[in-house]
Amino acid sequence: MSAHEHHAGALPPEPEKATLEGRNKILGFWLFLGAETVLFGTLFSAYLAFRNSVLDGPPPEELFQLPMTFIMTVALLVSSLTSVFAVQAMHRHKTGQMLGWMAVTIALGAVFLGLEIYEFNEYVHEGHRFTTSAFSSAFYSLVGFHGAHVAFGILWIGLLILQILKKGLTVVTAPKVYVSAIYWHFIDVVWVFIFTVVYLMGKV
Amino acid sequence: MTENHSASGTQTQRHRLEGPQKHIIVFILSLVLTIIAFAAVAAGNVNKLFVIFLLLGMAIVQAFAQLAFWMHMKDRGHFFPIIAILGGVLVVIMLVALALLWTWW
Repeated sequence: MSAHEHHAGALPPEPEKATLEGRNKILGFWLFLGAETVLFGTLFSAYLAFRNSVLDGPPPEELFQLPMTFIMTVALLVSSLTSVFAVQAMHRHKTGQMLGWMAVTIALGAVFLGLEIYEFNEYVHEGHRFTTSAFSSAFYSLVGFHGAHVAFGILWIGLLILQILKKGLTVVTAPKVYVSAIYWHFIDVVWVFIFTVVYLMGKV
Repeated sequence: MTENHSASGTQTQRHRLEGPQKHIIVFILSLVLTIIAFAAVAAGNVNKLFVIFLLLGMAIVQAFAQLAFWMHMKDRGHFFPIIAILGGVLVVIMLVALALLWTWW
């Protein structure tokens, strides 16, 4: 593949699907996301089973601050939209615009992650540690695992920006951008269920 | 090389670039559903069971819209992605039902 010189004009409209390798990469990534769904499902089911087992620790309704969760939700939702814009810029072969939207996506992901770290730090000060109760362990496992996915996504998309600056947008690099965008959307969809099941239902 | 070119040639013919409108509509929909969900909880003093079902409904609609449009699952050629995610969701439903039955019984 890399032997072929692909200039911007020669790139097909959907460069991520132009090669069999690219299409297989996307298909394989979807199978991975199916497995990720199950993984988050196990953490959700553990949380639902243990959410009332608070022992001496603070219960969810005392712990959670909805304005903070709302800001985090909006940051991640907007970053998911900018990630759509990055793929649309890629389909138009506008590499500069694509890299710009990817950078915005990373920045918003970093805002989300920073707020989550601040939030966890607050909880620890309120006596809600990982080993406090079955509720706290299940909470940190579920929300922390999602946060780790956001951190991995920031690292991944950041490295992709560097690679595309070096190699340009080709039929080899395009599937990577597409797959990273799908990953980022998936992380946002998982967060929809976390803020609903953990934060909002914890306050009902 | 020639194969590659003919393949991309046919793609140009049937492919039209999609605009950002649909995606912005999905964004606004997601934002509105999120605000409704947070407002329903912030309001308080409402029927608990009603709020829980409302929250779940908002989340499922939002997730569905994002999967279909932002992750392109509505586009053609997404049979296996749908199978993969549906398979995952099926296992999740069983796991969650198991956890709830285990603790509520």
